[in-house]
Amino acid sequence: MNSIVDKLYVLSRSQKFRNLIIQFIFLIFVGLFVYYLISKALQLDITLGHFVSRAGFGISHTFVVDYTSNDSRWFAYFTGVVNTIRMCIVGIILATILGTIMGVARLSKNILFSTISYLYVEILRNTPLLIQIIFWQIVFLQLPRISEAITFKDTVVISNRGILLPYASSTENGYGNLWIGIILIAIIASLFLSFYINKREDIHGKVIKLYNFKLSGNIIGLIIFFTIASISFFILQKPYDIDLPSLYQNDKGTYLQSGGFEFTPEFGAILFALVMYTGTFITEIVRGSIQSLPKGQTEAALAIGLSNYQTMTLIILPQALRSIIPPLTNQYLNLTKNSSLSVVIAYPELFMVSRTIMNNSGHALPVFFLILVTYLSLSLVISIVMNILNRRVTRIGA
Amino acid sequence: MQNFYKWGFETFFGSVFNTIITLLSLIILFFFINSILGFISTSEWKVVEVNRRLLLIGRMPPEHEYRVWPILWVASYLIMASIKTWGSPSYRDLLFIALGITIVCVIFTTSSTYLWVLTSLLICIFSYVITSFIGKSTTANNKNKKILILLWILLLPIIFTILLIGDGPKPTLWGGFLLNIILACIAIGFGFPLGILFAIGRASTLPAIKIVCTIYIETIRGAPLVAWLLLAWFVLPKFLPQFWGINEVSVVVRAMIILSAFTSAYTAEVIRGGLQSIPKGQIEAADSLNLGYANKMVLIVLPQAIRVVIPALISTFIGVFKDTSLVFILALTDLLQVGRIIPEQDPEFFGRQLEALCVVAFLFWIISISLSNLSKKVEKSLGIGIR
Repeated sequence: MNSIVDKLYVLSRSQKFRNLIIQFIFLIFVGLFVYYLISKALQLDITLGHFVSRAGFGISHTFVVDYTSNDSRWFAYFTGVVNTIRMCIVGIILATILGTIMGVARLSKNILFSTISYLYVEILRNTPLLIQIIFWQIVFLQLPRISEAITFKDTVVISNRGILLPYASSTENGYGNLWIGIILIAIIASLFLSFYINKREDIHGKVIKLYNFKLSGNIIGLIIFFTIASISFFILQKPYDIDLPSLYQNDKGTYLQSGGFEFTPEFGAILFALVMYTGTFITEIVRGSIQSLPKGQTEAALAIGLSNYQTMTLIILPQALRSIIPPLTNQYLNLTKNSSLSVVIAYPELFMVSRTIMNNSGHALPVFFLILVTYLSLSLVISIVMNILNRRVTRIGA
Repeated sequence: MQNFYKWGFETFFGSVFNTIITLLSLIILFFFINSILGFISTSEWKVVEVNRRLLLIGRMPPEHEYRVWPILWVASYLIMASIKTWGSPSYRDLLFIALGITIVCVIFTTSSTYLWVLTSLLICIFSYVITSFIGKSTTANNKNKKILILLWILLLPIIFTILLIGDGPKPTLWGGFLLNIILACIAIGFGFPLGILFAIGRASTLPAIKIVCTIYIETIRGAPLVAWLLLAWFVLPKFLPQFWGINEVSVVVRAMIILSAFTSAYTAEVIRGGLQSIPKGQIEAADSLNLGYANKMVLIVLPQAIRVVIPALISTFIGVFKDTSLVFILALTDLLQVGRIIPEQDPEFFGRQLEALCVVAFLFWIISISLSNLSKKVEKSLGIGIR
């Protein structure tokens, strides 16, 4: 009898047993809380059944997909997702370029250049993104009215309805989508090929040579891509053509514009604001990473006769990239989430469209979970891509 | 003089690339200055002048306006005393602070309120002088520090007492700059302690606690703040318990709940970085001293972890302050909403959105830049401490 009490006493003093008890009690509380939430949620409609019904609202900006108000809510949501993805890809690329240039500029010996970078960061980083979006919208709306639109020989039309640029459009022979498909396959194939050749060179040291000229995997990939693209372009009899924007008056005297790539004030405002705002944070990341490198790197590069530009692109930036990428990923995720702020100027991306659906249907909770899942998967994709990049960057020279 | 020319030539036109950069920079600066000058020459600030009260307190009834000034007095005493006690400001800092305060006062002072503002300016100077007087003796200084910390903790209750005591206006009527500051204070005041708890939870060795905290943090960070605010707008009341009328909470309280939860998740991630930077030896040393878990955390781990991440924490707080402008989604009239609405109210102000927006942006900017300078200062002083 005594021994059991002793054993229990020993057990109760052991760390493992205590940890188990603590976790058990914790889980009971969490479980009760979750049970409470779920029981409340079950009182609401948490199915997405209403998503198959007719959307009934128009979307002013569509890209690639042809949406009309007679389509289902799923399709409306999908249109929003496409708009978000488009915004994120363009925004991420531009913000990275801007941030890198400004980050290098901040450390430049040229006082004018570094002053611009300093002013840019200190002014734009410390004002809310929302204000910047509204600011750019006001600026874009102050462009001349469409009756006084600025045109450059029928290639660019600038007015406060948007900026029209020349763009490619599919011709009537109907091979446009086929050609896009071929291009996508060509991109994937040439990526794999160049990857394989580079790896073969890395591991086995085998090099493909053409008359003493080394062909690296990247060059071969590019050549193959352009060959496939151009050959299929001619075989399919010009599936795409250049589409010039035009501005004309109809018989009532109303000005109309058509054709080309339309860069609307809303898209421009949100893109400008996102790029400028995220660019400030990227600037600081780039600056910090460059400053964290030992000064000897620059001195050594200059000592072997590299120019300032070569020092930066060949020595400093590749090394700084290792400490840049993890915080950069964070900024990309922020940009993706911040794109939801375009709701303030009614640019119909994912969040704006879901808000309309919430208002129309009255079922907010399931739509919110859909938003959550979509943003989480977008974040996941960005993280995975950046992790692959990070692994490649840290591998070099390691 | 010859050296100066040589230096100038080499910095601006040292190489072809450099020359191109100089010319480009000149063009950009020219456009920047030109557009600013153009804006200043055509701007009319009357839209801001007649709407000062709206910018400061939004739709709060004018008869309750007097409640704002005691808050300003307490805040100005606390801020100036803290700057003197912990900041050890240089003359440049003081000049910057004085300039900022003056401009903010110019924006908000009308003929009927200048006495109140003057009083708070006097309190600023008084608190600075008296704190520097106290600072001469070490014991009095230490006592003063304790009092200040206590006051900072009590600041939120004080603000709420002043705003709600007697027949105070309903929270839904709060607005303008006051609302932004209250929301930011609440979000940081509740979000920071919660964030510490979640960070400890996520760094815990117990799998159940770790997983639950991780799920919480990642879910909150997964969706943008506007989406969470929209959720609060639609369904939060249905999830709150149905006694004491909690489920009919006003929109402001919903915004506070969401902002605090959001801040806690982001703060937790920052503090987790600090926890990871603690050398293992510290924890082992604490264990070998037979400190309990709570003692180990409060006395050994957290002070070091938070110290390391103070700059990152401050930038998170700046982010939270800027994010308070998102409450437009709950139909609250915060500073930015007031700034958007006032040019539309009167045909006289048509097309004066930029002026209103500029003032709003400046008010956000001046607070953020002060905090960001504070963080730079802390970063510097921390660097000295480590080496």
